[in-house]
This record gives sequence, C-alpha cells and structure tokens, in this order.
Amino acid sequence: MDKQIKGGANTPGSGLRRRDFLAGSAAVAGAAATGAFTLPKRVYAASKAEITFASAKFFAKDSMNEVIDKYNSSQSAVHVTYTELPPPSSSTEVHQQLVQMLASKSGSPDVFTQDIVWIAEFAEAGWALPLAQYFSADDMKAYFPGIVQGCTWNGALTAHPWFVDSGMLFYRKDILDKIGAKVPETWDDLVAAAMKGMGGDTKFGMLWQGKQAEVLVCDLVSFVGSNGGSILAPDGKTVKIADPEAIAAVQLMYDTINKHKITPADVLSWDEEPSRRPFVAGQSVFLRNWSYTWATAQDKSTSQVVDKVGVAPLPHFAGKSSAACLGGYQFGVNAASKEKDAAIDFLKYLSTPETQLHFAVTQGLAPTRQEVFDSADLGKANPFMQSLKSVFVGALPRPVTPQYPQVSLVLQSQVSKALSSGDIEGSLKAAKDQIDQILAG
Amino acid sequence: MDAIARFWGVGRAAALMLLPAMAALATVSVYPVIEGLWLSFRNTSLIFRTDKFIGLGNYIALMGNDKFWNAWRNTIEFTVLSTALETALGLGMALVLYEAFAGRGVVRAAMLIPWAIPTVVTSKMFGWLFDGQNGIVNYLLRAAGVIQDNINWYGSTDHALLTIVIADVWKTTPFMALLLLAGLQTIPHSLAEASTIDGANAWQRFWMIRLPLLLPTLLIAAMFRTLDAFRIFDLVYVLTGGGPADSTEVLSTLTYKTMFSTLQFGVGSAMSTAMFATEIVIAIGFAVFIGRRLPMGG
Repeated sequence: MDKQIKGGANTPGSGLRRRDFLAGSAAVAGAAATGAFTLPKRVYAASKAEITFASAKFFAKDSMNEVIDKYNSSQSAVHVTYTELPPPSSSTEVHQQLVQMLASKSGSPDVFTQDIVWIAEFAEAGWALPLAQYFSADDMKAYFPGIVQGCTWNGALTAHPWFVDSGMLFYRKDILDKIGAKVPETWDDLVAAAMKGMGGDTKFGMLWQGKQAEVLVCDLVSFVGSNGGSILAPDGKTVKIADPEAIAAVQLMYDTINKHKITPADVLSWDEEPSRRPFVAGQSVFLRNWSYTWATAQDKSTSQVVDKVGVAPLPHFAGKSSAACLGGYQFGVNAASKEKDAAIDFLKYLSTPETQLHFAVTQGLAPTRQEVFDSADLGKANPFMQSLKSVFVGALPRPVTPQYPQVSLVLQSQVSKALSSGDIEGSLKAAKDQIDQILAG
Repeated sequence: MDAIARFWGVGRAAALMLLPAMAALATVSVYPVIEGLWLSFRNTSLIFRTDKFIGLGNYIALMGNDKFWNAWRNTIEFTVLSTALETALGLGMALVLYEAFAGRGVVRAAMLIPWAIPTVVTSKMFGWLFDGQNGIVNYLLRAAGVIQDNINWYGSTDHALLTIVIADVWKTTPFMALLLLAGLQTIPHSLAEASTIDGANAWQRFWMIRLPLLLPTLLIAAMFRTLDAFRIFDLVYVLTGGGPADSTEVLSTLTYKTMFSTLQFGVGSAMSTAMFATEIVIAIGFAVFIGRRLPMGG
C-alpha cells in the first residue's frame, strides 16, 4: 500500500494516469453493460438446462466458483448457478436455509450439500432424490464403505459422497518427547501423559468441546464409541445411551475436569474455536478437534506450536478400540428438481477423481474415493491428509434416524446436565427415556 | 340528508385510502399471527409429512414439558434481573447527565455507543471479555485481588445466566438512561428551585419532587424494556447456545430450536403462542398499574 501511494505522488504523470484510469474504468463498465445485454440468460434457456447448486461455504468462495466455471465451460448442455450458504460452523443456519428451500418444492436448488447427519431426515421428508437408478452398487464401491452407508437411508441411496472428516487427537510432540511418553493409545495413557506434561505455560492437559451444541454429541460419540458403546443400536430403535459402557464413558468426560483436572471446566461452554485457540497458543498437551486444526497449527502468523503438533486417532478404553465421530458434507439432489438429468450430470462431475483431488488440494476436503485418497498426487500435495486414513476409516456415524435433530437436542441437554452436575447415571437415564419417547413417536 | 351523504362519501374515500395500509398490515402482521395460532393447534412435522388438527394437544403437552417451564423460568429471571438493574443504573446515569458539566454533550453522545453496536457483535465481545481462562475480566479481578481462581463465567450453571444479564445491562442501560433523561427534562426547573428555597436537600429534591414526576416515564420505559427483555435471543444464542445444562435456555432459543432444528412447527408455534400470552399478561399488568397510579386521562 505505502509503496503504491508514494509512487503515485512522485510520478510526474500521475494526473494523466488517473485520467487514463478513469477512461479505462468507464470502458470496462461499458463493456460489462453491453456484455450483460448481448448475453442474456434466456439464450441459455433455449439450449441449456439451468440448474442451481447450493453449498455451505468452505474456505474461499472462489475455489467453488472455479470448479463450477470449469464445469460450465466444459460442456454446452448445462449451466450451473452457485448459491452460497453460511459456513459449516453455523450448521444450524445452513440447515434452516436448506429446509426452507427444499420444503418450498420449487425445485431450487437442484443440487445441494448437506451435513451427513441430515441425510436420513431429508430422505424421510421426501426432499432428497433417491439415486440408485443413476449410480449402481458397483459405482459406489469406489468410495469408502462407511461413507456410502452414511449416504443410505432405509436401504436407499439418497445422498452422494463428497468429503469425509472426523474428530481426532492432536498432541504436542515436543512435550511428549520431554516427558518420555508415547502417543497415548488408551485414555489411561492420555490422562497420565496429560498430568505429567502440564505445568508452566501449559495450563491444560486435554481440551475437548462441551458446549451445549451439536459438537457435544460429536465428542460424546467418540468417548462412548471408544468404550464399545453407542447411542442407538444399529436397528435405530434401541437406545443404548444409559448402558454401562456409555455411563463409564461420560464419567470419564466428567473426570477429566473434576478428578484428573486435566481439562478446565470452561470446556462446558466451548465449541471448536475456543478450544482450538489455547492449543495453538501452546497452552495444552492434547486437543480433540476436526482436521482443520492441522493447518491452523502450522500457520506461523498465529500459532505458537508450528512443527510441534502430531495427530493420532483418539484413545480408547483398555481392550476396546478407538472411535471418532464421522463428519463431512455430502451431495444431494432435490427431489423436486425440474432438471434431474442435468443435476445428475453436474453431480457426476463434482465426484470425478480429478474434482475430488482438486477439492482435497485446494480446500483441504478429504476425498471419499479410495483411489484418490491413496493416490501419489495427494501424497505429494497433502501428506498429512493421507496419514489420517486410519482415523477416517474408524469413524463412527452419529445416530442414524430421521428424528436425529430431536435426539441430538435431548443429548445436548442431558449430557450437559451430566457434566455440570456429576449425576451421570440419572442424566443419561433421563436421556434414554426421552429418546425412547421420541422414537416411539 | 345532505350531511349524511357527504359524510358517507368522505368515509368511503377514507376507507379506500386506508385500504392499502390495512392490506399491508394484514399480510405482514395479522396473517402470521393467525397462521401461528392455527399451527399451534396442529401436529405439523415437515420431516414426517404429518399435518393434522389436534386441538389443544400441543398445549397440554407443553404443560408437562419440563424444558419449556425451565426456559420460561429462565426468561422471567433474566427479564426481572436485567430490567431492574437497567432501570436503577439508567436512572443514576440520567441524573448525572442532567446536571451541567464540561463535556456533557460528548458524554451524552458517547453513551449511546453500546446500544448502537449490533447485539451479535456485543455477544462476541463479551465472549472474549468473560472467557474463563484468558479473558480480561478474570485477569483484572485476579490482579485486583478480588478472586483467587478464575471464574468460569459461561461454563458454570451458577454464573452463565448472570453473565448474560451483565452483557445485556452493559448494552441497554444507556438506552434507559436516555429515555429517563428526556423525562427529567420535562420537569419544570421552577419546582426544584422552589423546593431549594424551602430548604430541601438534594435527596429530598430527588425523592419528593423529581421521582414522583418522573414516574410515568419510568414505568413506561420499564414496560418497554421488560417486553423487549422477554424476547432475549441473540446474546444467549451466540454465547452459550442455552447451556450449560439448560441453565441459560430461554423461550426464544427453545422455540427456535424446536421449529428450525427439529421442524416440529406445531409444538414450536404453541411455545411462541405461550410466549405471546405471557407478554400480554405482562403488558396488561403494567398498563393496569400505570393507569391506577397515574390517572393520565384520555
């Protein structure tokens, strides 16, 4: 900025330049105006199928526009217009806007992106087009089986895989080296290492998210799953949240705060960002968070822990196996779309190995196609992502039911009560009763 | 005859001219209220594509719904606490600003800044200030020796609602102060002067002269504030999301979650109707009180 201003003032011809600039911008404006008149959208309508694509905002908008522009210019049958929704961190608003658009049955947006937990709900409401007639079971074998299962409701494929994310354990390599501890595999290891590693500026041992919000359910799934428990049985009807495995897991969440004192009670009001900031400021040994934390921890301008962070699957209870909460956004096609074939064509383009690689490299969205995940190209561009395969493969879905939003609200409230009051069994039993009632519906 | 015909003509013309305004009001105000009422008598869920009339079913369910009553209690608690504090502090500020001192104009203008900041921004700001670990409020309290350990402002069921009250008081007290300042300025100077000559001290001047004359303004300002505070949404939504353990869940946030997360429009509408009913009771209470205390005529 400074340099430009100086240059302008010192250059004798700066006045003339400004006139040139003004003339130039007038010409540009004129061109834009004529452009708008000579290229009306009606011209497309005669020969092209017009469809709209609505997606939550991931990182740079330009990156998504780039993909759409490329598609628009690659063929002459379909023209896509992009509608940007709020970012995934405001998922309630994304959900609300999608519901308003889909429930109006106007057919717009034709293609949309949805959080994996809404798939059953949108399918049950009849808003998502069943995709089995467009994508065969063989086609879907190219994707991770867990994610294909997540895109299926009542035996029908109603969503299409886009990208995968999951909760994982971030740890401070330098601290573990200093205290001579290995990367923890069980929660006992983690508690021991956290207690040993705390001290000085490292005020905290382990940070997670306990805010009464969706993220609490994600954390809950990881803790309960790592003890072999679950919220609902696979039948989607039997509630298992008050089983001994789940009670022990929530007890551990409570104990990190009140017994082991490796976690500040503040996590009860923290979601992702408030818990991430102390970690990248060097205040904590461990952190449970999503994969985006990695890039922010390597950013020299804001992070105190560049090159000091490692990633591993979340720990598990002795004798059980690790579990992470499966996340990520997936594609859907509007059942009321007036241009279904065009929508499917665009969806296929979004899912080619090339496009998936593009999303992975430019936006950090992990591919759901197995071959892209394992490809040498991805290994070169983002070796960190490839190292996460074991985490993603072990990721568990949140309860799959069209009543998920109601179930989630009960869990948020009751687990928050358990963690605040310490009455874990009572709170979880109350949660079970309420969820039973919802499912009996 | 002539007069009646003329009046009828004028009346018709007036009615015609009022029509656009009436139509606009009906579409944006009356229709949504009636639609909301109508929905509250139905079991409407977008997810399961159900939509049937169930009479008072939603209201009966609401009666036994602990979450609803918990939110109702929190809302009342928030409303009473914040309105009382804002009225008391606002009155103090108004009395100070009423006196002449150097730079009074600047102070009066600057005072409105907290009120002019969008609530979502205020919420984010208070999120930082009251952060339990790295927030400046805890830092200052610790430095001043008031507390030994950090206070967990938002993460503890003991303080979360109180912290939201503090944020609201910071934001809205200036508004109250301005309303009351306007009221103070309508009180004739001569009354205060006369009482001074009669030997009244400052306290007596305030208690016997200004406060009684300010009471109409005070009550009306408090009524506006109460009705507004009852609808609290953004501070809670941004700062705590209703937690921890539902300790900050208020009627607006619960209704929003029920309607737009779970898409149960029937139950959600019953909740908002119940909220509406409570507000009407509050408004009538104030109106009766104001009417009794101050026969204002008209």
